Amino acid sequence: MNKALRPGIVLRNIAVLVLSLIWLAPTYLILVNAMQPVADAGNGPAWFPSGFAFFENLAAVWETSPFAETMLNSLMYAVGGAGLAVLFATISAFGVVVMPVKRPKVWFWLIYSGTLLPLQVFAFPLYRAAATEGIDLYDTKWILIIVYTALCIPFAFFVTRNFMVTLPPEVAQAAKLDGAGWWRMLFSIYLPLVRPAMVAGFVFQFIYIWNELFFGISLTISPENSPVMASVAALSGQGAVAQTPQIMAVSLVASLPAVAMFLIFQRYFTTGLTSNLG
Amino acid sequence: MTTVQAPKTSVNRSSGPRYEFRDRIAAIPFFGISLTIVAVVLLAPFAYTLIRSFLGRGDEGGFVGLDNYVKVFNDPFLLKSFANTIIWALGALVIPVALGLGIAVMTSSMKLGAVIRGFVILPYALAGTVVAIIGNMMFTTEGSVNQVLHAIGLTAEGEGIQWLLYWPLNVIAAILISSWQSTGVVVVLFMVGLQTIPRESLEAAALDGADGWRRFKDIIFPQLKATTAVVVGLTITNALRAFDVIWVLTKGGPNRSSETFALSMYRQTFLLLDPGVGSAIAVVLTIIVVTCSWIYLRRQIGNES
Repeated sequence: MNKALRPGIVLRNIAVLVLSLIWLAPTYLILVNAMQPVADAGNGPAWFPSGFAFFENLAAVWETSPFAETMLNSLMYAVGGAGLAVLFATISAFGVVVMPVKRPKVWFWLIYSGTLLPLQVFAFPLYRAAATEGIDLYDTKWILIIVYTALCIPFAFFVTRNFMVTLPPEVAQAAKLDGAGWWRMLFSIYLPLVRPAMVAGFVFQFIYIWNELFFGISLTISPENSPVMASVAALSGQGAVAQTPQIMAVSLVASLPAVAMFLIFQRYFTTGLTSNLG
Repeated sequence: MTTVQAPKTSVNRSSGPRYEFRDRIAAIPFFGISLTIVAVVLLAPFAYTLIRSFLGRGDEGGFVGLDNYVKVFNDPFLLKSFANTIIWALGALVIPVALGLGIAVMTSSMKLGAVIRGFVILPYALAGTVVAIIGNMMFTTEGSVNQVLHAIGLTAEGEGIQWLLYWPLNVIAAILISSWQSTGVVVVLFMVGLQTIPRESLEAAALDGADGWRRFKDIIFPQLKATTAVVVGLTITNALRAFDVIWVLTKGGPNRSSETFALSMYRQTFLLLDPGVGSAIAVVLTIIVVTCSWIYLRRQIGNES
């Protein structure tokens, strides 16, 4: 019997086809409706576009909402927060893996514990602290840079540390014999070796920060400091005036940086994700 | 793939106690920098929330013992929120894990498997906010889902299902659209798990004539147990923490009917200005999340020692 015609194979292929269609449908719908002219957006979303009005849809929101400004904010938060977190995490991973520390496991778990707690636990105290007179960080760019960096350190630390323990200890011993100090050993010998893990951590945290909403709306309020998802979420809220095609066009553009990052660095992304399987 | 090995990296055990002491001091700024940031920005707020959950409403609420916790489990809105949290933990766990496992196994030996997995993984890069906006377009009463149901004759004209307006359909709709996003991660993790299954055991099974479902049940799945534990732990903790999708899709409504604890904490603290009860909700959520994390962390810890 032909292998391709066995009932099990046929059944499997049908199942995969159906699942693929289900997975593609939402993506397809957002593309179609982002280009749908507002005038033709009647009752309910379209399945086939009646024209190409993507840029008109985008422009309508671009001019009336702080969308563009918040895109730049998020770019800064994502690059700054992820970059700082990965840098600090790598320095600390070097500390607990390569340097002779007592009880490295305790330090590991203290730093890593940050990812175990639900974010809701941090929100109110951070808001209170930021709003305290003398600190005055509520609704500033600084508070989000600080909070995002801190939120990203535990996982970046986890990824870089897991990578560093796979490096042979001879690397450090050789450097030690050469008389390299710890900082020089880290920056000139370990950093280049750990780069794949650093990239993986950066990609992960960039996407996370870019897509983040909760702290964005808890710790900032004005458009000049809010992240992009806060302005996207505001468009779809009750009483918002934006039309479906306009919201879709904006959602698409707001998704581009994270999706591009994901597609370009997909290999690293898998590395970061699967470090959980340790 | 990064795998964790037991660290055997004390570099200079042999260079004498005096050096070792100096190096230990030298290590403090290295691990201290991350530790300080995490301690100040994350662990200290956590401690504050823990304490705050025993204090009353307002700034001079004083110590009220377990009152806030009692309130959490007496408030009808919060009880419903608790029920929704459990529904989320189950629904947003079972759907992505079952579909993700199925997709990984079914596509692993297909020619176009990688392309199909790409479709499934892509939504992971989308923001919860955008996922909710897509979900709203699909599940609103005039939305795409009802258009499909009408087109295939399951519902009559003008009698579309009101997905987002009533409990429990609004919770289910949110779980479905969230599963659309989260299944990709499960697929990636199971693909890695599948690669660790020795080819010989699969081939031996094929020679035995163990086919399809039986090969999956008897040979593949038992070897994916370790992966499954990690996947279950990660997926359930992410489901419990979900905020953005629900907040943008329904704001937890109507009438707080689709709220989960992640949202209740926000509403209670920031909108109803009752941080005592809000903190108690956060602490209960933490207990649930940490307990569930244990499912996969146990393995991590096992590897460390």
